[in-house]
Amino acid sequence: MHEIYSKTAPEADFSQVKRIEGFENIQAENSAYLSDESKLSAKPFDYLFFPKSEGELAAVVKWLNRQKIPFTVAGARTGLVGGCVPQEGALISLEYLDKVIEVYWDEPSGEWRIKAQTSVSLKNLDSMLRVKQIPLLEQSPDEVIRRHYADFREDIDQYFYPPDPTEMSASLGGSVVTNASGARTYRYGPTRAWIRGMRVFLPNGEYLDIPRGKYTASPGGQFVVYDSKGGARTITIPDYPQPRTKSTAGFYTAPQMDLIDLFIGSEGVLGIVTSVDVALLRHEDKVSIIQFMDSDEQAVTLADALRTEDRIQLDFLEFYSGNALDLLRRLQREEPSTVGMPPIPENARAAVFFEMSFDPHQEDLDFSILEAVINGCGGSLERSWAGYESRELDRFKVFRHMVPETINSIIAERKKQYPDIHKLGTDMAVPDGHMREMWDLYRSRCEALQLEWCAFGHIGNNHIHVNILPRNLEELEKGMQLYEVFAQRAVELGGSVSAEHGIGKIKAKFLKYMFTPEQIEQMRSVKNALDPQNLLNPNDIFPVEVTA
Amino acid sequence: MKIVVCVKQVPEVTNVQVDPKTGTLIREGVKSILNPFCEYALDHAVRIKDRFQDVSITVVSMGPPQARDVLVRSFELGADEGILITDRKFAGADTWTTSLTLAEAIRTVVPDYDLVLVGKQAIDGDTAQVGPEIAEILGLPQITYAVDVTLTSTRRQVRVTQEVEKGYEVIEATLPALVTCSKGEVVRRAPSFKDVINARQKPIRLVSASDLQIPEEQLGLQGSYTQVVKVFPPPAKKSSLLLQNLEAADAAREIFGFLREKRFVE
Repeated sequence: MHEIYSKTAPEADFSQVKRIEGFENIQAENSAYLSDESKLSAKPFDYLFFPKSEGELAAVVKWLNRQKIPFTVAGARTGLVGGCVPQEGALISLEYLDKVIEVYWDEPSGEWRIKAQTSVSLKNLDSMLRVKQIPLLEQSPDEVIRRHYADFREDIDQYFYPPDPTEMSASLGGSVVTNASGARTYRYGPTRAWIRGMRVFLPNGEYLDIPRGKYTASPGGQFVVYDSKGGARTITIPDYPQPRTKSTAGFYTAPQMDLIDLFIGSEGVLGIVTSVDVALLRHEDKVSIIQFMDSDEQAVTLADALRTEDRIQLDFLEFYSGNALDLLRRLQREEPSTVGMPPIPENARAAVFFEMSFDPHQEDLDFSILEAVINGCGGSLERSWAGYESRELDRFKVFRHMVPETINSIIAERKKQYPDIHKLGTDMAVPDGHMREMWDLYRSRCEALQLEWCAFGHIGNNHIHVNILPRNLEELEKGMQLYEVFAQRAVELGGSVSAEHGIGKIKAKFLKYMFTPEQIEQMRSVKNALDPQNLLNPNDIFPVEVTA
Repeated sequence: MKIVVCVKQVPEVTNVQVDPKTGTLIREGVKSILNPFCEYALDHAVRIKDRFQDVSITVVSMGPPQARDVLVRSFELGADEGILITDRKFAGADTWTTSLTLAEAIRTVVPDYDLVLVGKQAIDGDTAQVGPEIAEILGLPQITYAVDVTLTSTRRQVRVTQEVEKGYEVIEATLPALVTCSKGEVVRRAPSFKDVINARQKPIRLVSASDLQIPEEQLGLQGSYTQVVKVFPPPAKKSSLLLQNLEAADAAREIFGFLREKRFVE
């Protein structure tokens, strides 16, 4: 079915919605809303709204519509491309929509699912699942919800939500509209693979309930959305092919695609997701291993060997370059307790970090295939760190996240001298077989320009984040030029300019490397169909110069 | 030279359930870990071993069969030998019977020990009694709350930096001795995956009630002088001052007034 009807939510009293008016007041009392993790700064805007229910959200959106005020929507503000940083009009923070609604067994698919509001953080979701305790459901006045929750508690197995975009303070809804991926995407795919349903408010203030599998595009590639007043909008899905890598650049499209997939990864420019149904997976015990190697090249070789060895199933496969390890070493000397790990071995010049299933109670562990692969690449299991208790897995995870956090703090320090300096972090993925070529390009160009840089990230998906740390404005300029060189090459190899961070405001200029003007116009017409006044997140994805 | 480290398996989460009938902790479904303070004790032992080649470390644990996991974990972290004291007759032991059993097992299985290291307390029971009691039963000098443990150059004494209320004291005791360990500056070790695999191939010596010279009535619940009557989380402190709907400057004035009233500021 390609036709869907939007509904109206019982509208709340607009005057009762919590808000701050006036940019000066917002600056004075709520400066956190002036930026996100990208560190992009907001331009003056006039209203900051905090709806506490869908009814309040509908009231706010309808009021903004009547006033023709453009509005930006924020979740946990952990995005890296400035998507939720307003440039005008109003900002709607969804932070109060933070309740788990239900946990239920879906018989046809044989899986447990959780329905939750958009601003439940991934961290809270994870904690609730770890202890299988969701107090709100236990105390629910709805007998069915209490019963489903009791059934879930009685299931002897543990369950988890597989997407793991490292930044666990991210909101669930934010992770959906950005189709967040991360380390575990290597095994479990991106967020898209785990979304079973959503409620999304359209820019006109009405909402759609979209279960996966119900609404698919017509053979001609169209959806029709009818509103409560009898109006109809036709969405024609773009016809460009998806890159053969993970990608968050541009709208998802596929022949006879599911409507839900149009909203997943759309960066919030098509609608406001207020609740999501996600699938859970049975938990298995894991071991995390950080394997130290003698050189970056050796580590790239090992990653390739692990990826192509069919008998080894890893959950994730990550990379630290030698200069990334050096950053951590420096931090270890200055703040050993912050790092929380023993000193990184002096002779380690790169590392590969992976996780796999592991039964700690099994006496005869056979990891001879793994050992042979590592030895074959010049490494040794004796030069590794391993952890399997959940506190150990957490400790390793914190360590993994420490490289980008250290880079952010170095850049913040440099900003004091050069306010225009910012981090240059690549987010490009290339198809299988091209990682080494891309790595050689990254390394040789950064070294040739004598830039300070390091690399880390999802080598299993051929997706390494190269981070350039400019020491002055001249290096910033050189770095930005280099970034374009990298982006062009990644696209030439069939990859994506934005594998996971999205386009937002900061990376809009790179869209032209991946898409022709006609293809960008196809995306634009999808946006126009749902948001003809261009009020919702108006400055994201579509840069002014392309649309002008 | 032989160092014995006593280790305990504890639940990973602090929010455990209590069996309403027996008043003891329900362990089912809760993952277990090596008690962190025992891990620090083991870490001190491994540091001594790193310095003196002839040191061997024996870890001893008393508990149900699954407590072997903490011995395996100790092997990963550098222990050489493991002893699991396990028998249904030990069940329900309080700190005294636990200490008596551990002390007797150490005396029986590692009679030539030089140093006994234990964690200052377990994170589940929090009694901090077992270490000192073992020392008393074995007739050893004891130093508590150690943050650093080394041997003197003659290796006849242990030199310990002890946490005291206002700082640290460095004290020595003649070996054999017992030291209970606090956290200190320890950054926890990370074993290699090779260590993890090898740890599972090391033998563990089992010790049961019949291996020990302790009358049966002094073991387990029967021999215990104390019993857990009730376990409950401490009541949450409710007193708090919440300022709402105030301008920032007024709120700051209120808070300052409160702090001055309570004599936190002049």
